[in-house]
Amino acid sequence: MGSRRLAFVTLIVAVLVGAAALAGAPRVAAADVVVSMIATTLAVATPLTLGALSGVMCERAGVVNLGIEGMMLSSAFFGWAGALYASAAWGLPPGASLAFGVAMAIVSGGLLGLAHAALSVTFRVDQIIGGTVINLLAVGLTGFLNRQLFFERTGPFGGVVPRSPGVLPRLHLPGLADLPVVGRIFEQQPITLTAILLVVVAHLALFRTRWGLRVRAVGEHPRAAATVGIDVRRLRYESVILGGCLAGLGGAYFTLESVPSFEPLMTNGRGFIALAAMIFGNWTPTGAFAAALVFGAAQALQINLQLFRDQIPPSWSFLQHSSIVGLLPYLLTMLILTGVIGKTTPPAADGKPYDG
Amino acid sequence: MSRRRFFVGAALSAVVALLAGCSSRKSDRPDCSKPEVFCVGLVTDVGKVDDKSFNQSAWEGALRAQKELGAVIQYIETTDAKDYAKNIGTFAEEHHDAVVTVGYALAEATQAAAVRYPDVKFIGVDQLQPAGAEKANLASLVFAEDKAGFLVGALAAMVTKSGKIGAVMATDAVPPVWRYGEGFRAGARHVKPEIEISLVYHSDVGIDRTFTDPEWGKTTALSMIDKGVDIVFGAGGKTGNGALLGAAEKGALAIGVDTDQYATVPEAQKVLLTSAMKRVDEGTFDLLKLAREGKMQGGNLQGKASYAPFHDQESKVPAEVKSRLEALEKGLMDGSIKTSVPPTKT
Repeated sequence: MGSRRLAFVTLIVAVLVGAAALAGAPRVAAADVVVSMIATTLAVATPLTLGALSGVMCERAGVVNLGIEGMMLSSAFFGWAGALYASAAWGLPPGASLAFGVAMAIVSGGLLGLAHAALSVTFRVDQIIGGTVINLLAVGLTGFLNRQLFFERTGPFGGVVPRSPGVLPRLHLPGLADLPVVGRIFEQQPITLTAILLVVVAHLALFRTRWGLRVRAVGEHPRAAATVGIDVRRLRYESVILGGCLAGLGGAYFTLESVPSFEPLMTNGRGFIALAAMIFGNWTPTGAFAAALVFGAAQALQINLQLFRDQIPPSWSFLQHSSIVGLLPYLLTMLILTGVIGKTTPPAADGKPYDG
Repeated sequence: MSRRRFFVGAALSAVVALLAGCSSRKSDRPDCSKPEVFCVGLVTDVGKVDDKSFNQSAWEGALRAQKELGAVIQYIETTDAKDYAKNIGTFAEEHHDAVVTVGYALAEATQAAAVRYPDVKFIGVDQLQPAGAEKANLASLVFAEDKAGFLVGALAAMVTKSGKIGAVMATDAVPPVWRYGEGFRAGARHVKPEIEISLVYHSDVGIDRTFTDPEWGKTTALSMIDKGVDIVFGAGGKTGNGALLGAAEKGALAIGVDTDQYATVPEAQKVLLTSAMKRVDEGTFDLLKLAREGKMQGGNLQGKASYAPFHDQESKVPAEVKSRLEALEKGLMDGSIKTSVPPTKT
């Protein structure tokens, strides 16, 4: 990510956080609002970050992945179902059940990644169609299985959703979480922390390893890569499956880290915002993370503006309407994608089937 | 070839999904055509009759009619929204005297059935009939959400220690949600004019999504609690449930909605103060009684809005708060206290 873009992102996030602090000023100490904003931003940004990383992994290898939304939705379901089975049917303790759930989510994401790789690499189906198929499949499959497993009397639990093992616990980072005022920022749950770690890992893997160089080569010019002995198909399979696993972890956020329940369609389009974050981040892990933070901050701001609605001055009264404030994240998405931050460049072979 | 293989797969999965859309039915076949036999059929909204929510409340009203009025009762559990009319029709064709349909989603099918079967009495739970189009054989049980919101708002204002209370709501574009929120505000102000109230609506998604986003509900509740809110009212289906979970995580008090959520969100039991309730069971029974006596009239009928037991928080609510709340409920019922909330957003 270029320094200009970094400055732009920092500016936007600062403006969003500042706006919240300003709105809450007479009632709540600015420091508390800022800390709360950052904590909310990090939580909201988690599935976006992981979804965007998934997109980066796939597209850097030249495979467009529109199926992030579907991958996250189905992983949210399978992770949740896995955790419920582990705790209710096999009697595992909550911690082990949740860990099993997370593993299930990652595996199911990986399997959908495998399906996408098979469609787009082996069968050379149009990758846009492949991703759309995954999205449609996920909606139908999760809705159907959810009903059959948990809401039919003939289901394994007699139609009663068993008591959930709860959600992943908040980690108390020693030292950091004890700090006055800002400590709250560091009290995060494991998937949120892992997501940040994975941004660094993905960056190093893509730009500092031989494997990453090969993945990028395959995404830019697969024929050239093949002529120097790189197995294009194999690398594309690896990247897309890995991308599926990342989206799977993002799905686990919904049902294992945020709330202990699954709702049909609960990912609510966040997979597509993640795609926008990937593009805005110019197909780099760090850029995608920065973009996810922007969207997270916009979401956090719309909650905070409503919280402080009574204090918004009359001349800004349009901000008192929840539906107008609710537009914020989407307006930002559009503004950013229309190129306010300059040109973004996808990998040259992105979306093109390789038939060498 | 790969493409064809895919389409065959897609067609197969569509067939499987269709097969799953049938209804389950419980029946012991009495002769409903005899005038001395009072038959009641209940059609649930998608879901089961023991859903711990409206379906179950309405069924409890029917069970009471069985006990006290000697009614013969049956139910059909709807498994797919496409079957509403079919399920209602089944009871009407079998000469049931009264058919109860549960939930706003069945309003259209119920109104159509009332026209088609003029001899059958219909009771539509939570279904407002448009003014001027009321039917003589259809009684709609509706609720003043603002009154229920008023009561829990007043309770929250009396119980809060920080003087800050909040509500996490689905979109205000849905009138009942808006009435809950404004009622909550009015009730809190009624007992404590200087109280700080934060209402946050989930208006950034469509009506189809606004009730099913628990992640948003929880995030919003946490953000409120960060700012000193110590009681969170969650009103908006699963979105509101998310807020209850957020309160439970932070040890703030939570207030549920529609039915007693002590039963529906076990993870929040220890912090659940009460729930703003629609007494569907009482209303359903009252209407069935009227129907039995031949006195049921068509139109919209106001059911009782109330609040749920305090459960685990029973000992934490002072006696004077309880008696004040009871006085407020009485005042709302006899009209001496008004919420001053208009029926829809202005």
